[in-house]
Amino acid sequence: MAQEQAKLKVEDLTISFRTNQGMVRAVRGVDFNLAKGETLAIVGESGSGKSVTSKSIMGILAGNSVIDKGQIIYENQDLTKIPEEDFHKLRGDKIGMIFQDPMSSLNPIMRIGKQITEGMIINGKHLKNRKKALKQETHQRYINAKRNKKAIKKDYRSSIKEAKKAGDESKVTTLKSELKNKLTKQKEEIRECRKAYVQKRKEARKTVKNEWKAKKAEIAQKIQDVRARLKTTEERDRKQELHDEISTLKEQKNRYKKVTKKQANERAVEVMGEVGIPDPERRLRQYPFQFSGGMRQRIVIAIALTSNPDLLICDEPTTALDVTIQSQILELIKRLKKERDLTVIFITHDLGVVANMADRIAVMYAGRIVEIGTVEDIFYNPQHPYTWALLSSVPDIDSADRLMAIPGTPPNMLFPPEGDAFAERNEYAMEIDFEKQPPFFKVSDSHFAATWLLHEDAPKVEMPEILRHRLDKMKSTSKEVKTNAGK
Amino acid sequence: MPENKETILSVRNLKTHFSTGIGKNKLVVKAVDGISFDIYKGEVFGLVGESGCGKTTTGRTIIKLYTPTDGEVYFKGKRVTAGSDSIKQQLKDTKRLSRDKISELKAEMKAKLEKTSEAEKVKDSYTNKIDKIKQTTSKELQELRAEISRRKHESLKDYKRKDTKDLMKKMQMIFQDPIASLNPRMTVKEIIAEGLYIAGEKDDKVINDKVNDVLDTVGLLPEHANRYPHEFSGGQRQRIGVARALIVSPEFIIADEPISALDVSIQAQVINLLNDLRDEFGLTILFIAHDLSVVQYFSDRIAVMYYGNLVEVAPTQDLFKNPLHPYTKSLLSAVPVPDPNFEKSRQRITYDPSVHNYDENPPELHEITKGHFILANDEELKAHKKELKK
Repeated sequence: MAQEQAKLKVEDLTISFRTNQGMVRAVRGVDFNLAKGETLAIVGESGSGKSVTSKSIMGILAGNSVIDKGQIIYENQDLTKIPEEDFHKLRGDKIGMIFQDPMSSLNPIMRIGKQITEGMIINGKHLKNRKKALKQETHQRYINAKRNKKAIKKDYRSSIKEAKKAGDESKVTTLKSELKNKLTKQKEEIRECRKAYVQKRKEARKTVKNEWKAKKAEIAQKIQDVRARLKTTEERDRKQELHDEISTLKEQKNRYKKVTKKQANERAVEVMGEVGIPDPERRLRQYPFQFSGGMRQRIVIAIALTSNPDLLICDEPTTALDVTIQSQILELIKRLKKERDLTVIFITHDLGVVANMADRIAVMYAGRIVEIGTVEDIFYNPQHPYTWALLSSVPDIDSADRLMAIPGTPPNMLFPPEGDAFAERNEYAMEIDFEKQPPFFKVSDSHFAATWLLHEDAPKVEMPEILRHRLDKMKSTSKEVKTNAGK
Repeated sequence: MPENKETILSVRNLKTHFSTGIGKNKLVVKAVDGISFDIYKGEVFGLVGESGCGKTTTGRTIIKLYTPTDGEVYFKGKRVTAGSDSIKQQLKDTKRLSRDKISELKAEMKAKLEKTSEAEKVKDSYTNKIDKIKQTTSKELQELRAEISRRKHESLKDYKRKDTKDLMKKMQMIFQDPIASLNPRMTVKEIIAEGLYIAGEKDDKVINDKVNDVLDTVGLLPEHANRYPHEFSGGQRQRIGVARALIVSPEFIIADEPISALDVSIQAQVINLLNDLRDEFGLTILFIAHDLSVVQYFSDRIAVMYYGNLVEVAPTQDLFKNPLHPYTKSLLSAVPVPDPNFEKSRQRITYDPSVHNYDENPPELHEITKGHFILANDEELKAHKKELKK
């Protein structure tokens, strides 16, 4: 699944939840890449781990979760390892999220305006941010040096332990002395880094303070000028104008310091207009209960968009909505994606929505991706039995046949099955499916499926009759559509 | 659809309004505002519309969970519930009419009395006329009042009578949310058997047998009977809801969005179950949903509802082939189809209620082709007919 300039890379991500019954293996090794400007749809039943995957990218997993292994690479950073402090800079700012239920993801006792501007105001302390940016580099170096020390210690301890177990006394002493040497060296480095950091911190404080003072003085001077003019003028209109000028100057000063409420509200009105909420100035002062479901979902989207994210995660944004409202919201997301060149992860269980939105699709089942490919791959040439079942369980426009329901229920993730998780509900399951997890088999350059059916020794299995019938029909209709478009 | 249609349920001008507040704060929500339709024996009648358009209220009013404001519901030929708003209005109108007539006559009499000399004769004739009007009015009023009280009894007190009870047993409901609609403190057996207890069944053995039977029909096992609802998955819970409706062997089931709270793969299970039951027991189903692809798969006829009114009623094939009302068109154009190429070329139509000009010429439900009804005024009807001919 090699792809150039991947925006986001998820590798072998494994997440479990600690519960009273034991560890629930929610995600068991998920890999995917996401190119810039692409929409990846993750499809699966509830409990298949799709929401957990997206939440881990956003860094908002529940407290009892454990990331066992794997990494999420975003802009050369591993999101599973970076500390919470640094995550603040990404979350909301670079990575936005639209939540599932607009009824419960908004605070009912807070005005809409406040909810939209909250993030902007909290993150908008310009002076503090500037100080942080100035000392960032040295701070990072200092922290890295400290981390290195810990890593060295850990490394040597384990090897010393091994040597002790083996009874190799001489090796233990050499290792110990080596460790000591290295530690003193590292300590020296830490001291230096710390010194540099403290120095830089002082400097940063000073420069920011000076800058702020200069700005303040500049504006105070300007205000004084205006005041002087104010004393000499007699005309009423002119006076009012000058007063206005003073207040704008004051506002300018405040804006240099932080994102002011006024500024945030202006931005909120702008974004609300962008997501299609009529009369945003008035709506800003209202509470969530005064909005309909579709409008509430628009507000959730607006909140995600205020800080210009370039990766947007949509966690079932339309499941709680009506068909008409749903298509409005989908069109909105599509439009925003085009305008802002967003990269989107779209989570849903509705295949119709997926066909509309996605460039690529990942089908998830029981914590694993079972099939991944472009929209055309998945819809016109599905390979995994679970994808077949999903596609054929949707009622079709003009078939009156019995629907193919998937028998049984998803497996209990407290005891994840040994082999292919779908084997128990799969009528095409072979013996090996119960014993061994199938690897990804390549169907085409963009299309991979994890099923033993694609192994060269497997018996050739045809997809279910209903589905083949449907695919043939789809192909013919899409030809029609194409020829119509040609006309 | 069967040819020899036997009407099992007919709804006539049904209105359900909810009001809050008093005085100038009074706010009336017209959830259902005058709908009429018939459901024939053995068919599945789909009711679609966006949320808040009154489809659930319709279902609940039919099964007497809400009292209608106006209109009547006939089930198997007998009126089961009715509202009396229009009759109250009629009452007022008759009163006012007679009052007006009498005062008119009195004025006439006065004018004539001044002119003529035979005062006695004129007076007599006029008092006679007035008495006659009073008599007929009081008779009319009596009738109307009787009707009002009858309707009130039907919707409120009559449920204790045995024949009504037996009749209402034939109508059952499946609720929307399988998690919220099952009592968490009752076992599955208690939940399912509750209807039987109410119907007067006391024999434990009979109840057990029936519960096991019905569990078997919906695809659950007899040992599930002693478990609690939280031990089941969403699909199984909805099966319990279906079993609860089936235990009293109904003929007519109102299914209120039975699958919208379920996962895709589970949805198919429940639809298949309902389909089987319909074939096996010849059930008639009022299927309320907002997912058009499911409704289309499952229903014989579809009614489209928009803010308390039916805008179009038609056989399924007909509705999807020739949608006429602009709202139906917009609703159909919004259904996502699992086919990427189709999706990319899809054009969504938006519905703007202001395209109708109903100020002078209010719309009515017209039958445009056989079985295809549409809400339109005369002008629009002409336009629709032209559209059909194309």
